[in-house]
Amino acid sequence: MHIESPLVQEFNRRDFFSRTRDGILGMALAHLLGQTMTAPRWACAEPVPPPSHSPTLHPRPTHHTPRATSVIQLFMNGGPSQMDLFDPKPVLNRMDGQPYPGNVEEIGNQGAGDIGVMMGGRYPMQQHGESGMWMADVLPETAKLVDELCLINSLWTDHPNHDNALYKIHSGRLFMGYPTLGAWTVYGLGSENQNLPAYVVLNDPLGLPKNGTRNWTAGFLPPLYQGTRLRPTGSPILNLTPQFEQPPRVDEASRKLLDRLDQLHRQQRPFQPELDARIETYGLAARMQLSAGEALDITSETRQTQELYGIGQPTTDSYGKRCLLARRLVERGVRFVQVFLEEQPWDSHVDLEDNHRAICTRTDKPTAGLLRDLKQRGLLDSTLILWGGEFGRTPTSQKSGNIYTGRDHNMQAFTSWMAGGGVKGGLTYGSTDDFGHAVVENPVSVHDFHATILHLLGLDVQHLYYLRNGLEERLTGVMPARVVRELLA
Amino acid sequence: MRVDRILTAILLACLTALSPGLCAEETTPNYETAIAPIFAGKCVRCHSEQVRKGDLDLSSLAAIQRGGESGEPLLHRQLDASWLWTMLDGGGMPPAAETQLTPDELQTMRRWLEAGSPAQVALSPQEKPLTQHDVLPILLLRCTTCHGPRLQQGGVDLRTRAAMLRGGQNGPVLQPGDPEGSLLIQRMESEACPPRELLLKFFVKRPTETEMQTIRTWIAAGAPEVDTQPDIATTKPDPLVTDEDRQHWAFQPPRQNTEHRTIDEFIEAKLIPHGLDFSPEADRDTLIRRAYLDLLGMPPSPEEWQKWHSHASAGWYEEMIEHLLESPRYGERWGRYWLDVAGYADSEGGVSADPLREVAWKYRDYVIAAFNEDKPYDRFLLEQLAGDELLDYERAETVSDEMVRNLIATGFLRMGIDQTGSRTMNFVPERLGVIGDAINVVGSGILGLTLECARCHSHKYDAIPQRDYYRFKAIFQGALDEYDWLSFKTRVLALATPSHHERITSVNPPLVAEMKQWQKALTQATRNASLALLEHHYPELTEQDRQETLVALGKADNIRTLRQNKLVEYYLRADLLPDALQPEHVLEARRDIVEIERRIAETQEKMEPPPTIRALWDRGEPSPTYVLRRGEYDKPGPLVGPGVPSVLTDGRTPFAVAPPFPEGTAKTGRRLAFARWLVVPENPLTARVMVNRIWYHHFGTGLVASLENFGVKGTPPTHPELLDWLAVEFIRQGWSIKQMHRLIMTSRTYRQSSRATEKSQQIDPRNLLFARMNPRRMDAEALRDSLLFVSGRLDPTPGGPPDGVTADRDGLVSVNLTSRGGWRRSIYVQHRRTQMPTILETFDYPEMGPNCLVRSVSTVSPQSLLMKNNAHVHELSRSLAQRIHTQLEQAETATSDDRISLAFQLALNRLPSPAELEISRQALEEFRLAWNTDEHQALISYCHTLLNSAAFLYID
Repeated sequence: MHIESPLVQEFNRRDFFSRTRDGILGMALAHLLGQTMTAPRWACAEPVPPPSHSPTLHPRPTHHTPRATSVIQLFMNGGPSQMDLFDPKPVLNRMDGQPYPGNVEEIGNQGAGDIGVMMGGRYPMQQHGESGMWMADVLPETAKLVDELCLINSLWTDHPNHDNALYKIHSGRLFMGYPTLGAWTVYGLGSENQNLPAYVVLNDPLGLPKNGTRNWTAGFLPPLYQGTRLRPTGSPILNLTPQFEQPPRVDEASRKLLDRLDQLHRQQRPFQPELDARIETYGLAARMQLSAGEALDITSETRQTQELYGIGQPTTDSYGKRCLLARRLVERGVRFVQVFLEEQPWDSHVDLEDNHRAICTRTDKPTAGLLRDLKQRGLLDSTLILWGGEFGRTPTSQKSGNIYTGRDHNMQAFTSWMAGGGVKGGLTYGSTDDFGHAVVENPVSVHDFHATILHLLGLDVQHLYYLRNGLEERLTGVMPARVVRELLA
Repeated sequence: MRVDRILTAILLACLTALSPGLCAEETTPNYETAIAPIFAGKCVRCHSEQVRKGDLDLSSLAAIQRGGESGEPLLHRQLDASWLWTMLDGGGMPPAAETQLTPDELQTMRRWLEAGSPAQVALSPQEKPLTQHDVLPILLLRCTTCHGPRLQQGGVDLRTRAAMLRGGQNGPVLQPGDPEGSLLIQRMESEACPPRELLLKFFVKRPTETEMQTIRTWIAAGAPEVDTQPDIATTKPDPLVTDEDRQHWAFQPPRQNTEHRTIDEFIEAKLIPHGLDFSPEADRDTLIRRAYLDLLGMPPSPEEWQKWHSHASAGWYEEMIEHLLESPRYGERWGRYWLDVAGYADSEGGVSADPLREVAWKYRDYVIAAFNEDKPYDRFLLEQLAGDELLDYERAETVSDEMVRNLIATGFLRMGIDQTGSRTMNFVPERLGVIGDAINVVGSGILGLTLECARCHSHKYDAIPQRDYYRFKAIFQGALDEYDWLSFKTRVLALATPSHHERITSVNPPLVAEMKQWQKALTQATRNASLALLEHHYPELTEQDRQETLVALGKADNIRTLRQNKLVEYYLRADLLPDALQPEHVLEARRDIVEIERRIAETQEKMEPPPTIRALWDRGEPSPTYVLRRGEYDKPGPLVGPGVPSVLTDGRTPFAVAPPFPEGTAKTGRRLAFARWLVVPENPLTARVMVNRIWYHHFGTGLVASLENFGVKGTPPTHPELLDWLAVEFIRQGWSIKQMHRLIMTSRTYRQSSRATEKSQQIDPRNLLFARMNPRRMDAEALRDSLLFVSGRLDPTPGGPPDGVTADRDGLVSVNLTSRGGWRRSIYVQHRRTQMPTILETFDYPEMGPNCLVRSVSTVSPQSLLMKNNAHVHELSRSLAQRIHTQLEQAETATSDDRISLAFQLALNRLPSPAELEISRQALEEFRLAWNTDEHQALISYCHTLLNSAAFLYID
């Protein structure tokens, strides 16, 4: 039994960054310390994942040439109805009011007791654009841009509960505790802007979405990779500005004192890079205060731009502002932005026709505004837009109280769209059965969906892993996922 | 290696592209002449009859047809359906270190497979006859909830063939040879069973068509039964694990070492050859602070610091260590480390409601007490793993404290995420998840093994066949039985001593009544506040609108009508306005709510805790355990019995299990047997893993850096002899953890200064040889507790239900004040998975998934932002300043220097250096001017800055 001592290893960059997570400052520090910095180990020709214990947000090389460099996910929490909005079902429409012809157990999620009758699409649908993509008339603005959209009618997921389906669509697993797509993305790519968080969440001022902060968790990845909520009012980041009153001169004096004490402390302790790193985090905190304030200040936008997003009009103002902020953030190098609605407004178990129309009215114009604005600024090519929820809805109505005006959850089929960075505009991909209940052609699993998004970002999901308890953890689990090449431009 | 594979691929591609005609001309290879030699040369070293890695034997065609543990067909004309081809063609077989197949051989293999695997002596396509073990797992999955151990609907039990023949009220359910005449088939085919209305109630799904076919075929064949015994370790050599596998250092028992007798000798023996020596001893103040934070997780009070600082005796240091080990604060520090191992949480997780675990805290208090009383580690494990099998509490005349304690201890196995009490998440896969978590906690935390890997296939690196994972699972089957499940709601015991029961009956009834009143008052107050808000902001709303809004607020958003949604939105818009825009009566109504909530918490505090225990207990009637192929719940494989990983044993000693109470309650005794096996002195891992963990918490790095993995992919120990010596010493000293602290902390190695020198930096930059102490950042709990302690705001009350937390609209989660006006230590804060206090999360409090063996240490700007700008930290600075002010009031002529000096003593446990004093004087003056000569404000700002300093956050 001979054990090799792992002692002799050069003081490498990996150790150095191991406690220094704010990327750029690491470089600055290295300079300070006069260390020779060699290329990081994961930057070699063969794509390997970044080391597990060296969390930084330093920009990292991609596995292949990326088609998009940032993502805006417009998350439609609650599950928009595919047969009402995107996926026309004439047979279902004809059968409106009749009983479901198959075994109702296939439909029910909470037992079969509350299943109503077939419910046709609630809104007229038309074909639009050169592509002739179908869209309901409650999405008039989005409909004008169908030739930019890549519509996937054949997504399916594994669980009919919001909780689990949300975990699934965000983290690829049905349970809490796993890193989300955004977390994996910034883990794999780092960030272009060290003065702003790499992964930003813009949630609805009316409240958090279902599952709350779990929708942007880093799971078992270092917390550095979790989403940071930027709030549209007040201090944009938690603790960004003092939560107590003090004159500016006190702040200055405090900064000076801290600097002098810490310099003394450091001088007596050579070769402790984490001390320098910590000192630098105070500098970064100050810079972040400025950057975040600037990024979130939409008053500098022209009125024309604001109107494009529906800002100033009561129904669209709130969502419009978040969409505009999303653009400003990706413009400044933020890697991943998620825009949420409160709770789960798409979850129309009751009054689907009215509730869906209302939520379309809130989001349609801002969404189209975002696409147009990105396009005219030349950002759409490098920004991937994702629109969709965690599952779809059933072709049958559902009993609630004694009325049948909504639809239940449907995990077997749902619709999402992508636009921008590297996807094929005007494409309608995949199809469902006559009722929109289950996928019949070109199914896209959540894993496939994720693998495709990472592929567009220049990452190969098989090579993007994190070692945990001896297991190589991946966004898409054990079995290789399919990059849906048909969706790529 | 990689190049080889690429070349192979290219070659193959060329061959296929170029020569369809060519291939046809070649003779088709057959097994005996072309294939068997390839297997013999490249594969059978690991896949023979005697050595069957992955439970695969490639030494005969019959064995090849049988396949390995995955259950996948090896042979198939279509290459992508052939598991053999998948593994050979880029699937990592043979392993990189072994001789690879040549391109020719690969090509031969391919042609052989595509030709239908011909052989000279063709194997008769023998269908393996089905047995009861193909059918029983299906019935367990689909039927036994109603026809098994708990219920026998219609008098029917489907757990054995005999019971099926016996049948129930309607006669036998099984007619061997006549599937369609068997009630079993009829009931399932007509979908009378499982009954539709019970599918979700009992969390079962209908059998698939394949499963139905299996049952029919079995019955048609006469429902044959074979006498298969569960696969357990026997005295025969284990074909799946070899003695060579057992040679890995960590799988051999720790070795006695006679060469060295102290930690320092082991350390020195490695330092000298590297041209290094110990660093000088750290100065006394550093040692005091280091020891306090290490053992208690908090700095000393100024009085204590003074005592040790000026202690004249030569043995002051040893005396201090003893003093600290006696402190009840010790268990709160070291117990917390163990709670990380267990993955402690006060909520179930899994679903977004994240239900609270009302009495998980009993386990937390048990752990703290165990550390404080220095419960021997072997006993500690015994209680946590098998506390229910130590004493027969079910048949006891009186319930003793020890019985209660033993059962609370088993909470260790109940800490993973558990969603099985939710309405829709209690199917077998979810249950297997709960079991997997428990196994994972035991594996990584106690054994230092990544057992999890073997759940779906044999471990890639360590010699842990998939079979061993399921043998391990069988150890827990008596309590955690996926086919006979208790959800987190029903898996609770009500067990209390007579005196506890008495206290409950005498103390609680009036408090319960009081509580009801408060709850009622709360409902009313909430209503009042909502109405006040609406009245003020929307005077145009009618009374009916307002009432409707209240109704709508009580509904989930997905079952509201559009009108109701609109009303709620109105309400929220008003509710979210800042306080400055709210009228006084709304604010007052809100204050009422806060006050009532405080009274509720107060009443709660006075109540005797319920007798409920979140325990794990054996139920005496485990279902059989089947290997699950690829880890999938509906792909049962061979039947196994309880056992420990073969590689950790000599492979020839059966795992001895005996029911613990032969005359009393039926229990399998499996976990007890396991726990006893864990704590035999020869166990190679138990002691090593624990001493390594203790070392890690003292030095910031383990002798084995990968605390959770002592397998072949783990990091080898820097000091293997020392690790073994410590392990042997640990056992010799009665598994006493406190003895380990004494041993380590009194060593020269521990007492070194943490300053690095040019030389040590050059030779050993990572300090793997321990030529100095590692400086460390306070972890989340130490930081928060220290802030509270130095500011005088720490409420030292130990134990009991956790303190609640409040999440504000900004997502800031803060801990509620106790009724005594302070805050308790972080270990007593509610650890709800979805609502961890922001300060703890910011300083790397981990996500428990299911546990955490090593916390990451990040240095990020949100930490600086929190320390600099957070109102709570500022409030504590204010308290610190007040404390200094009060203490110096007696000294009438207190100067700035006195204030600075006292601030240093309180926060940093030392006096300022001349340079620090000078800097501080200037700063105090600047603060004073900035605050318009307000001295007290200046002191607050000074204290706040000091708490932000590196000297406070880092431990030398």
